[in-house]
Amino acid sequence: MIEVRGLTKRYGDVLAVDDLTFGVRAGEVTGFLGPNGAGKSTTLRMVLGLDAASSGTATVRGRPYSAQPAPLKAVGALLDPGAVLPSRTAFHHLLALAAGNGIPRGRVSQVLAEVGLEKVARRRAGTFSLGMRQRLGIAAALLGDPPVLVFDEPLNGLDPEGIVWIRSLMRGMAAEGRVVLMSSHLMSEMELTADHLIVVGRGKLIADTTMKDFIEAHSEREVLVRTPQAETLRPLLAGAAGVRAEGNDTLVVTGLEAAAIGALAAAVEVELHELSPRQVSLERAFMDLTRDAVEYQAEKETNR
Amino acid sequence: MSHPRTHPEPAPVPAKPPSRTRRGRSASDSAGSGRATFWHSLHAEWVKIRTMRSTLWVILGALAFAVGLAALNGSSAGDEYADLSPADQAAFDPLETSLMGYLVAQIAFGLLGGLVMTSEYGARTIVPTLTSVPQRARVLGSKALVLVAVALPVGIVVSLGGFLVGQASLSGAGAPHLALSDGVALRGVFGGGVYLALAALFGLALGAVIRSTTATVTTLFGAMLIVQAFAPALPGALGDWVSKFWPPIAGGQIITAVRDPDVLGPWAGLGVMAGCVAALLAVAFVVFRKRDA
Repeated sequence: MIEVRGLTKRYGDVLAVDDLTFGVRAGEVTGFLGPNGAGKSTTLRMVLGLDAASSGTATVRGRPYSAQPAPLKAVGALLDPGAVLPSRTAFHHLLALAAGNGIPRGRVSQVLAEVGLEKVARRRAGTFSLGMRQRLGIAAALLGDPPVLVFDEPLNGLDPEGIVWIRSLMRGMAAEGRVVLMSSHLMSEMELTADHLIVVGRGKLIADTTMKDFIEAHSEREVLVRTPQAETLRPLLAGAAGVRAEGNDTLVVTGLEAAAIGALAAAVEVELHELSPRQVSLERAFMDLTRDAVEYQAEKETNR
Repeated sequence: MSHPRTHPEPAPVPAKPPSRTRRGRSASDSAGSGRATFWHSLHAEWVKIRTMRSTLWVILGALAFAVGLAALNGSSAGDEYADLSPADQAAFDPLETSLMGYLVAQIAFGLLGGLVMTSEYGARTIVPTLTSVPQRARVLGSKALVLVAVALPVGIVVSLGGFLVGQASLSGAGAPHLALSDGVALRGVFGGGVYLALAALFGLALGAVIRSTTATVTTLFGAMLIVQAFAPALPGALGDWVSKFWPPIAGGQIITAVRDPDVLGPWAGLGVMAGCVAALLAVAFVVFRKRDA
């Protein structure tokens, strides 16, 4: 479990992280979401003891990171996939990290195989592609077989294959009962991965909710109704819901479930050709939520 | 491991449920057990320094320079010896003549020490390093110990190489020369090695504070060569003081066999250098602990 209490980071007059409080539970993927500059990385760096908090605390399983008896066995972290000495081999990069925590040499080969890098283990890391470095970073996070995993923007710059791989890896880790915290600035990445959402903007907590609740609260659901008798149906629906026409034979209904619309149509013997619920994109909902918190907002919004 | 794959780019691996059962028992016993200690950190730093490419180049470079300079210096000084005035002949120092290569070797050793820190910042590996070992004093302490374990023996070899080649070429030119069995020679060779190890620690401390390889090298050049070269040109008392107490100059007295009353003795001089390095390391510890990574 990760517990963050009143965590604050101040650089001069700027509050990068402003009194953040949240907890991260085991057994699910928690998305740490916020626009660029929202303080996500700074928060993760404080959780990992890399940066000192101006005030507040961050603990993992009840202890600050620096007090973990063997940190890599408590928390696996991927912060910066490029962080490898180019002339060092993948194997030695991991071996040095493992050695620092007394993790046996055999475990290095094991994690390299687990991420699919066993064939290039003895190659210098400087020759690795971004995707391979990301795998190496993941391998480092898995070294200590930790119950807590922290990934900072793990999907950044990856090709679709890599994204699918990391996503299923994170889901698998959560399914085993681990704590998985993953940051991103893209809602679209979260939608398919996270069970729980912690949304921050300008260093402040904006939302701490399950993905399901977030979707329900922030996406207006619409029902698309296609019927040759749109003119007949429309006034009947307008009493109970919002209705707008989209072309001659299509109505978009908000505030009424598809089943209710179907029942209403059946009652008045209106023929339906399509009756389909659809969702407003979560990206849109996320942008609305963080609109005020985006650090550098475009002068003029081009849409809406 | 069993399925052969020749393509260097790894194919995506499905997130297979990891092979071993683990939930239900505490995580700390699944990847080796126990608490991480200073010993582990020492091991980690040893792996790092021996897999850092520059380590080998710096050592070979220092060795080549020390030996090459000793050969050249020995033969040219030897040739000129006969033409010196009696006073200059009395002040002729065969030990120093053979060990002058330390002037360049100290930069190489300082660079090695600096790189032990700055390579971590350059490649940003300081982040994985500190997530593996969050105790900063432990990290810097292990770096310093491992560095000394490499730099001291190599430093002695570099000094010894310079000494043997230098004395051989002095002897070939018919000038006074020393044997390794002379007390002063042993002091110069071992002390020279100690000096080079101190130079490496000097670089380590600078690297920890400065964090940039380029700036660390520049500072090393300034502190170890430029000041040395310009000390005599400084006005009066200041020039005398710098020539006597500036740590790299004072420490360099360890390779002299002929006493100059205006400068510190060999061991006192090396002591000044050691004190300066200790003070810089103390600053490095404080800074490294306090600053965000």
